Amino acid sequence: MNLKGKWRVGRLVLLAILVLAVLLVGFGCVKGLAPIGWSGGNVSGDTLFVGSKEGRLVAINLSDESRLWAEPLKKVSQGGGLFGCSPAMGGGCGGSAGVAIYGTPVVVGELVFIAGYNGKIYAYNIETLGLRWVYPRENNLKPFVGGLAAYDGKLYIGNEDGKIYALDAATGDNLWEFQTDDKVWGTPAVHEGVLIVSSFDNKLYALNAADGSLKWDFTAEGSIIATPLVYNDVVYIGSFDRNLYALNIFDGSLKWKFTGENWFWAEPVVVDDVIYAPCLDGKIYLLKVANGANIDEYDLDSPVSSKPAVVGNTIIFATRAGVIYSLNTVNGEILQLADFEQDVDGPLAAHDGIVYIHMQDMSLQRINAESGAILRSVSLESQN
Amino acid sequence: MNPWELIIQQPVINVMIVMSHYLADNFGMAIIALTIIVNICMYPLTLKQIRSSKAMQDMQPKIAELQKKYGKDKQKLAQEQMRMYKESGVKPAGCFITMIIQMPVWIALYQSIMLALAVAPEGLLNLSKYLYPWPIVYSVLPLDKNFLVLDLAQPNFVLAILVGVTMWLQQKMSMGTPADPKQAQQSQMMLWMMPMMFALLALSFPSGLSLYWVANSVVRVVLQYRVTGWGGLRRKPPEATGDSERKFVKFDDPEAQGERKSVDDVGADIVITDSEATRKDVYHPSTPSKTRYQPGKDRAPRRRKR
Repeated sequence: MNLKGKWRVGRLVLLAILVLAVLLVGFGCVKGLAPIGWSGGNVSGDTLFVGSKEGRLVAINLSDESRLWAEPLKKVSQGGGLFGCSPAMGGGCGGSAGVAIYGTPVVVGELVFIAGYNGKIYAYNIETLGLRWVYPRENNLKPFVGGLAAYDGKLYIGNEDGKIYALDAATGDNLWEFQTDDKVWGTPAVHEGVLIVSSFDNKLYALNAADGSLKWDFTAEGSIIATPLVYNDVVYIGSFDRNLYALNIFDGSLKWKFTGENWFWAEPVVVDDVIYAPCLDGKIYLLKVANGANIDEYDLDSPVSSKPAVVGNTIIFATRAGVIYSLNTVNGEILQLADFEQDVDGPLAAHDGIVYIHMQDMSLQRINAESGAILRSVSLESQN
Repeated sequence: MNPWELIIQQPVINVMIVMSHYLADNFGMAIIALTIIVNICMYPLTLKQIRSSKAMQDMQPKIAELQKKYGKDKQKLAQEQMRMYKESGVKPAGCFITMIIQMPVWIALYQSIMLALAVAPEGLLNLSKYLYPWPIVYSVLPLDKNFLVLDLAQPNFVLAILVGVTMWLQQKMSMGTPADPKQAQQSQMMLWMMPMMFALLALSFPSGLSLYWVANSVVRVVLQYRVTGWGGLRRKPPEATGDSERKFVKFDDPEAQGERKSVDDVGADIVITDSEATRKDVYHPSTPSKTRYQPGKDRAPRRRKR
């Protein structure tokens, strides 16, 4: 091939690269295509457990800030796509480096449990983070997005396959399953032997926690993804139909409903018989527990998808934009404490007056709820 | 929300969700329907682009002649080419301008499909900010990602192949045969390179996007067919090289015989065109006439046993 011919081929290759670059940028990865994870923290004793964006369970000793990492969760091999832009079972373009973990770790006795987007549930020794058991032992289920609920030595979790699984916390044996008509992303809640769990099929199910038999179900006008809050024998649950429902826990009858301007994604909190319900319309609605009357509302200018943390008379909210607010429940004063300029989607954790926020940059931010002081952050990035 | 999201993405997403509701809660059908609608909206531009490309292709022989004539004088060649384009009313940049105008629309459509698919939990969370406060929108979500046997959120090998095949068809139809062999080689490379590249990309992206690419290519094939017919897909007759002015010798023309100066000039003097050659009443030297059955001659040769 002469010089001219080579130049022509070179131009063609250059053109192909240019086209590919335009395609990858323009048609490139849309934000939210790949799973990242938003695991919250759970404090047991003096240790905080959290699922990192590397796909590992991390144990942080809160007294000396020493950290311990479990082995990374294993990705499912078929996902990823050629350029990694496909939503893999735990990875993907712009996604987390490891398996995405959405659920907050749960501690029962000497074991700590976590469920991964790879469709497996893991049980670790609380001291060493050595793996005790994994469910299922062979193969993988569909992704777990919701977290685990523990009650009476059993674990409960919903899966994208639409099933609710009940496992023996000590052995990981499957005790029973309950099939819903669509995906289950919400973390279940257990109250006096009643398991409350939401599904994409627009229904909220109340099951007998012992054997998985159906007690009642409630049908909303849209899918339900949120984690239910149970308070004084009433279940409070948000739905995609923009309603927050209050249901009687014994028969599922509707007590009242409140309509917001967008989805109620995050679990609300209750302080002094007032519900503080964060909404994706960027507002915090203050509703009376008894009748759902709207007492007040605060506009935070950004959607709130993370469960707030309650510390005494203060509630800490984090917006998706990464702005942290504290609300004094006594005088109604709201203050902006920090702006981390990173998405915050996971639930906030509180212990000893300190609020822990899992950030996108694999750090755990700490804020003193009372003074509003921002403490030194802890990195969740493993050193190996 | 930035202007791009507000003006383009948000309406497209909401329309797609509503369409999905009216098409039996089938998001795959919504993708196909929206691709067709957008193509109909873009029809005048697309038509202009196809016609412009066709005109450019038709001018290839003349351009080749110019290249031969002014091969060394680049400036003169460029001037002559521009003059030719001007006289024919063809704007060489026209194709690219229409493509550039169309590109953001396709990108917006792609981004909207990806957002509406809400593949990962973060995607569903992001989607919430784009939704209009229409009850119908809230009741449909999250969308059903299954279409026929496909999971629109996952890559699909068969659909990736279909992306490549339909894109190749579309390109082949729109592609002429450049007179310059080097250009022909380049065209051939592009004909294969682009579909292969898109097929590879389809292997990486959720198949909802592949479905959109396939639907788009099929619509473009139909449009192309309406304007140019089968185009580059048409099978060429073996003797027709594409030059309608190709000349055949007419041996029995007395006028031509009279003008003949030497034996070497045969073929340069008396001519008929292709159109004449196809007429039945004209004698074709290349076509044997068959008037009656000739025993022993018309019979097919027997096979000999080895």
